[in-house]
Amino acid sequence: MSQSKKTMTLNLTDAEMSILEELCTKKELSKTALLRQALRLYQLVETRLEKGDKLFFEDEEKKERAEVMML
Amino acid sequence: MTVTVSPVFLFNVATGKEEPADLLDAITEKQLADWEAEWTPELFKAMQRLHRAGVERAQWPQSRHWDWRRKAAAFQGMLGTPGFSIMCGGVTQGMMLADTVTKRCRIGSQTGKNLVYVSFVENAPWNRKELFDPPRYRGIGSILMRAAIELSKEHDFKGRIGLHSLPQANGFYANTCGMTDLGPDANYQNLRYFEMTPEQAEAFLEKGGKA
Repeated sequence: MSQSKKTMTLNLTDAEMSILEELCTKKELSKTALLRQALRLYQLVETRLEKGDKLFFEDEEKKERAEVMML
Repeated sequence: MTVTVSPVFLFNVATGKEEPADLLDAITEKQLADWEAEWTPELFKAMQRLHRAGVERAQWPQSRHWDWRRKAAAFQGMLGTPGFSIMCGGVTQGMMLADTVTKRCRIGSQTGKNLVYVSFVENAPWNRKELFDPPRYRGIGSILMRAAIELSKEHDFKGRIGLHSLPQANGFYANTCGMTDLGPDANYQNLRYFEMTPEQAEAFLEKGGKA
């Protein structure tokens, strides 16, 4: 039941491509799948922030909590 | 919004035959209107029967407080929270909301990997054998689980899915779906958490989603 898709060319620096490939290996995802997942996550974060929610990173062991500032 | 419709079949209990149905990769206004005008009155009548029969409140359907209109509104337009529904006989027979972003696998061999988390899945009241005996259609839950697995594969998540089960559905996820039961989740109303590995997903798809 997959929807039709559009193709685009993406220009990345060596460093960006290196990180993309590293993440793909780690997450066992193709480049397309990883970037689509990143888009879904980015939209979610943006929507929640626009509603006034805050994003935090929490370290349960160290009892530390830091707000992530999004630009 | 583009809605993809896929042909599926439901088992009509009264006729003993399969009936053509549609699987939609969306929850539209039509499904929400069906929930309000068709599901809700039937659910109330079923609960009234349970109440009058002296069935404890704890045994009533736990999904009775779910407000699909509110849920759909909260997730509308979000890429990471797709909805699905099944139409048969002109009426919505089941709905599901998934989350492809915020959850990760918990099973040891899969820890931290992406999965499709089934946030909410519900059958129309007349398809639930604990409320209507016999139910009208069978197979809705399996079709929606298959849709979740296919979505997982489409996202490169290899068929991994997870969900918290309402008590009435524990047997379905453990036995029919063959998911791993990771036990009650203290962080989620003590509902049992079930997860499906890529291998379990393939096994479920191979047997056609049947018990």
